[in-house]
Amino acid sequence: MKRSSEALVGVVIVAALLLITFGTLWLQGATLRGQQTEIVGVFTSAGQVKPGNSVKVRGMSIGRVREIRLSPDGQSVEVVLRIQDDVTLPEDPVVILSPESLFGDWQAEIVPRDRFAAYRFTDPDDPDHLPGYALPDISQLTATADRISETIEELTERVGIAFSEETAQNIASLIDNVEAVTERLSELVTQQAQSFTDVTDEAQRATQEIRAAAERVRTTFESVGELVEREELVAILGDLAVVTENARTLSGELGETNLEIRAMAGRADSTLQEIGALVALARDGDGSVARLLRDPELAEEVEATMVSLRLLLDDIRENPRRYLRLSIF
Amino acid sequence: MSIVIEDLHKSFGKKDVLTGFSAEARDGETLVILGGSGSGKSVTIKHIVGLLVPDRGRVLVDGQIVAELSQEELFALRRRVGYVFQFAALFDSMTLAENVGLGLRRQRSSSDAEIHERVSECLALVDMEGFEDRYPSEISGGQRKRAGIARAIATKPDYILYDEPTTGLDPVTKAMIDNLILRLSEELGVTGIVITHDMDSAFRVADRFAMLHEGRCRFYGTPDEIRTADDPVVRGFIEGRPELMENAT
Amino acid sequence: MRVLLQPFVLIGRGVTSVSAGIGAWGLLTARTVGAMRHLDVWVRLLLPQMARVGVDSVPIALFIAMFTGIVLSLQASYTFTGAIPLYFVGVLVGKTIMLELGPVLTGLALSGRVGANIAAELGTMRVTEQIDALETLAYPPLAYLVVPRVIAGIIMFPLITALAIGMGIFAGWATAIQLLDMTSAEFISGLMLFFVPFDVTFALVKATSFGFIVTSLGCFFGFNTRGGAEGVGSSTTRAVVVSSMVILVLDAFWAITLL
Repeated sequence: MKRSSEALVGVVIVAALLLITFGTLWLQGATLRGQQTEIVGVFTSAGQVKPGNSVKVRGMSIGRVREIRLSPDGQSVEVVLRIQDDVTLPEDPVVILSPESLFGDWQAEIVPRDRFAAYRFTDPDDPDHLPGYALPDISQLTATADRISETIEELTERVGIAFSEETAQNIASLIDNVEAVTERLSELVTQQAQSFTDVTDEAQRATQEIRAAAERVRTTFESVGELVEREELVAILGDLAVVTENARTLSGELGETNLEIRAMAGRADSTLQEIGALVALARDGDGSVARLLRDPELAEEVEATMVSLRLLLDDIRENPRRYLRLSIF
Repeated sequence: MSIVIEDLHKSFGKKDVLTGFSAEARDGETLVILGGSGSGKSVTIKHIVGLLVPDRGRVLVDGQIVAELSQEELFALRRRVGYVFQFAALFDSMTLAENVGLGLRRQRSSSDAEIHERVSECLALVDMEGFEDRYPSEISGGQRKRAGIARAIATKPDYILYDEPTTGLDPVTKAMIDNLILRLSEELGVTGIVITHDMDSAFRVADRFAMLHEGRCRFYGTPDEIRTADDPVVRGFIEGRPELMENAT
Repeated sequence: MRVLLQPFVLIGRGVTSVSAGIGAWGLLTARTVGAMRHLDVWVRLLLPQMARVGVDSVPIALFIAMFTGIVLSLQASYTFTGAIPLYFVGVLVGKTIMLELGPVLTGLALSGRVGANIAAELGTMRVTEQIDALETLAYPPLAYLVVPRVIAGIIMFPLITALAIGMGIFAGWATAIQLLDMTSAEFISGLMLFFVPFDVTFALVKATSFGFIVTSLGCFFGFNTRGGAEGVGSSTTRAVVVSSMVILVLDAFWAITLL
């Protein structure tokens, strides 16, 4: 065995081993410099993410997905991310799993939570773990978009039916009615306010007079003893009759005021009843508006649709390139 | 110190090569096994070192049944038996020195210097000094044969088996090898088995003859006995007269 | 009646002889494992065999891998035109070479080179009685001849395959940036896109098994050579044919079991 062929064997072995080691590390995207650290994101579903997918912060690749495992209780998925040690994560970081391109490769993005507040993140039990949310995969997104468009179509249709000519008229007249009622109510209130002021004033005056009269009665009765035997009694009785007359007139006046108030209240009541009836008509009737208002499923769907749409729009706003790539083909 | 072959049977496929061959190489003697080409002479001696296992019968070396030895015992036996192959069977990838020294190296009892010395000595014995660094492909057939003998004797074996050691050699080399066989036998007391159909060298080296014919031992005896044998097969063979053999059954 | 039975006779004979062959090979393998205890015999022979099996095979392996890489790159770009982004050339070159072509083409090439070489060498040693001579010198021939070759194959095949993969990817990359309208970054991002370390493990496991198959079948056919130069020739042919077939079968086997 010559020395040179021994050396050749050594060279081949070392070259191959170096190639295997560094080639693998390089293709994995691992950096040889710098320490690495592991963080764990918790998800309800891992989506399509696989070990080896890149981990990004602000679009920069800072590591790789290392492992995906079920949490001990089996209720969630833990995704272990191996990232550079020296990267400062955003405030209140959360992990979003999303497609990196349209070809099935996914990525894990570390983002501040408040920017994606609409997402339902899975909150981890372990405080060291990050909350995570896996975007529906592109096919799911398409399906969702499909469903959304269907819903919108249905909605438009229903709205179209609901807002027929008749409905418009109904609503217009309803609005008219409400306007009239409101006018009358405000008129009434103005009127009443005046009447109440008057009545109150009169009542006050009357009360003062009654008090004055009573005072006079008292002084009168005080002088009765002395006056019984006097001729003046007849004159006093005559005064009393005047006072009594005054009082009677006063109470008559008061009674009249009360009547007026009751009438006004009656009128207000009927107006309110009228509104109630309209509302009831809307609620119980077979009108299209009623149908629209009454269908809880549709309502929820509309609500959910709105959320989905908002997410989609958010996503498109955040990652326009992801959707714009489509145009390449 | 003897090799005893008893009732040896061996077939390859449907071909029965040996059908009850017996012979004995006594201590310090040289047994010559005669026989025509393809009569099973080589097959017989391969049983002695355990390269072949008999179908029936047995071979005893020093009273040990070869086929029943464990692998380690067989290795030990082989270290004491030198085997000269018909076509030398030198290792193509090694120099003659490496070839001759291979058996010594296996024994691990000697240093490199000792091995080197012994290799030179053995090559000198077969008149091939200075060929240490040649490869088998660079030398002639006769030289290869001699190198094969050098390899067989390098480990100073108690027994040497020669498979046609002189076939195809010039008369001078032939005589040299015959002398070597005699010297090993007389000076070192090596027990030998020589396969040959060269009657000149057979009579020169033999203490005893065995003739293998149709798978059996046709004749076993001393050189004097074979010279006076009546058997037409034996006579025909040693005198080179096929017509005698054909008439016999 | 005889004529009618003939196909069945042939089938029966074929199956029997193949089974017997597999059995004999298994026996040789088992005995080879047993012979590994003769460390003193084979250890010093390992390095020369690693040089022969490994180092001498590097040029052919790299040559094949280089052209495979070039062709893959060009064909991938041709296939992807207009429909799929070009960086998928990197994906295709990387994945195909690593998972399939690197190990298998290297294995097939080396079955021709190494397997044939071993079968011819051992076959010649057998018919010229060199193997018998080894035995008479008290060497266990399996430990002396088979063990170092098989171990050298097991060690060197994955290493050569790794070099071949490296070369194939390099050639694919060079082609992509020279002949195709691609940037280095595109090719490399494609290369890294679906890469998982398991790809490398898979390639190396395959190459190791091929190394074992090629060398052990070479030894098997060489060892069982009968009958002169013609026998050596037919052993060599059979070693190459059978080990090539087994490589392809094993390739499928690994794909089924490991992927």
